[in-house]
Amino acid sequence: MTTGGESGLGLEALYPFLYPARDDLDALLADAESSTAEKFAEIAVLRASLTARFAAALSRCAQAVAESFASGGRLLAFGNGGSATDAQAFTTLLAAPPPPDRPLPAFCLPQDTASVTALANDVGFEVVFSRQIAALGRRGDVAAGFSTSGGSANLLRGLEEAAGLGMVTVGFAGYDGGPMAGSGAVDHLFVVPSASVHRIQEAQTTLYHVLGELVMADLRDPR
Amino acid sequence: MKGDTPHPEANRVVRACHSMAVRFRRGGTLFTFGDGVAAADAAHLAVEFVHPVIVGKPALPALSLSCDAGALSGAVTGDGLAEVYAARLASLAGPHDIVLGLSSGEESTSLPRALAAARERGALTVALTGRERPEPVADHVLAVASDDPRIVRETHVTVYHVLWELVHVFLEHPGPLEQEVPA
Repeated sequence: MTTGGESGLGLEALYPFLYPARDDLDALLADAESSTAEKFAEIAVLRASLTARFAAALSRCAQAVAESFASGGRLLAFGNGGSATDAQAFTTLLAAPPPPDRPLPAFCLPQDTASVTALANDVGFEVVFSRQIAALGRRGDVAAGFSTSGGSANLLRGLEEAAGLGMVTVGFAGYDGGPMAGSGAVDHLFVVPSASVHRIQEAQTTLYHVLGELVMADLRDPR
Repeated sequence: MKGDTPHPEANRVVRACHSMAVRFRRGGTLFTFGDGVAAADAAHLAVEFVHPVIVGKPALPALSLSCDAGALSGAVTGDGLAEVYAARLASLAGPHDIVLGLSSGEESTSLPRALAAARERGALTVALTGRERPEPVADHVLAVASDDPRIVRETHVTVYHVLWELVHVFLEHPGPLEQEVPA
């Protein structure tokens, strides 16, 4: 949530059955139940479509990320709001994988509240991530930016900074990819074709889970 | 990338949301927690409530216990990993509050201890877990029928997005919130 937005799209649009006001408890519970089942069916269809759309791109991206780690590279992940937690989940999977995989040098830029608040307070929110990358990033490292809109200024600046440093850049977005899709700074771009922030994030979770698994597989058995 | 749906039953999700809305209406706070990758989910769920994706929805009080590295590592030092959230909830949670823990299926020692501590304080407890266990750990257990922790987690993300949406739906229908619904 929180990146991009469904501005103007109210709960009425998400749950048309539940409006007008229903004050009968049983009817409300029944309507909420059928709406929930619809959401579950919707994400199942979207997830099932991901393999055909992204299998080859995920494989190429995993190989590039694995080669970076194998050469001593590090991975820096970042995003705003809910996407910050995706960055955190992705780096946790890499940094603390289940055995026998070995921990990889990956960290989550928005987790550093001192740096984030210092940069936002002293300069502006648009330099959060790009200044961290300027300080931490090295040629051959990986930058992974998570977004739903593809339009957050600080995320785009972070990816541009990383590309300028010669890092491998990975970007996640939704809708039509937004400005991220037009940025020349993203080597590996994954755009989830959905107009719902929530469904986009849910599908991105699957994508980066698979990406992490493929990276681990490539490191165990390089191509 | 499986196309099948290991989601929990919709009516259990709905009943959990109703109970959560009842607590929010009484002024309760939602406390979330999770270990490892689930720490990210705890933070994600909290920000859904605090900063709604839909403009105009009210902000609701939600906090992730998994965000504060100082408090967590301090609690680990004191009582060990199993007590890490239970120790904090003993001072934080009250009878109007909601305590929600996430675990993708691996054995978690901190989750049952935290939820037990929350129950002792009278809080409503909710757990998003992997496969259902014989002994329920919470008032509302939303279990995902998969042995793959990644698929469990992916399903949790959808479930907690729906939790947020439905809590608001129930809050907008005050009549039904005067009745409790059994778990």
